[in-house]
Amino acid sequence: MNQPELTITPSAVVITPGHEVLMEASPYGVDKKKLGMWIFIVSDACTFGAFLFAYGYMRIGTPVWGTPFGFSSIVNGMVMTAVLLSSSLTMLAAVRASQSRAKASANKWLGVTMFLGTVFAALHLREWFKLIGEGWRLFYNPTGGAPQFGATFFSVTGLHLTHVVTGVIALAIIARGYTQGRYDESHVETAGLYWHFVDLVWMFVFPLMYLMNAH
Amino acid sequence: MSSNRELTMSSYVGIGVGLMLIVGIEVMLTYRHLSPGTLLFSLLSLASLEGFIAIMYLMHVKYERPILFWTIFPATLFVLGFLCYLFPDAFRMYSMRLLK
Repeated sequence: MNQPELTITPSAVVITPGHEVLMEASPYGVDKKKLGMWIFIVSDACTFGAFLFAYGYMRIGTPVWGTPFGFSSIVNGMVMTAVLLSSSLTMLAAVRASQSRAKASANKWLGVTMFLGTVFAALHLREWFKLIGEGWRLFYNPTGGAPQFGATFFSVTGLHLTHVVTGVIALAIIARGYTQGRYDESHVETAGLYWHFVDLVWMFVFPLMYLMNAH
Repeated sequence: MSSNRELTMSSYVGIGVGLMLIVGIEVMLTYRHLSPGTLLFSLLSLASLEGFIAIMYLMHVKYERPILFWTIFPATLFVLGFLCYLFPDAFRMYSMRLLK
């Protein structure tokens, strides 16, 4: 019996550089780094979701909740939001420059993004130290209300701050590798995806942790 | 979804300004002395709108194949939504405590 002839259309296969074998193309149309980052983002979104839902659960179940944020803290939070949003735009500029093979420009924008990330972290720590100076601790409320505010605020914002700091370090590594030619534009794009996710999470953390706790 | 016409950098700046305006609206609502439930609903709705814009434009999902969106987002939203399953217990803690 004759075997049916196998036809391979060009759009159905990819040839991986350095591994010249025919592979079936990803149905998602993105490379494996980007798909891996999307899977990480999904798992990380669930982690943040669990933290924020735990905060909501404790907040609903607690009669006297601390509301320590005055207008100056809210303004500080708005500045932090503006800084992080700006860093997302500079990250977009870095990705675009890398896709146009403009290495110097891409590195410049990556540098600006790292700087803005560092400014965000500094503003965040300033807010933390202000709260600590007022007597707020992980398990202590200086106003005498429920002690859980400190635990939820420091854990949620601490997790986000860890992501920002990790992102700045990752961008520094990517920028160095990109300059040396070890990494290409797909690495910059994948790092950008992570950075935008960090920005996305802040869009939920700011209203839920700051605005809902303003007095 | 899945459009090949990417936005210009100035359009992205416009999106950034728009997102900042939404944050401004959130702050304005905070000082309107709404009830906690109304404020929470308003803030979550606006944050979700911001998140949708960020995912579609900043994270470029609008320019990817639709299968990427349909593979990732319904499942993620289901998991996040299902966490609300625990909320009735929080109301029980609040309403059934002996000392308020």
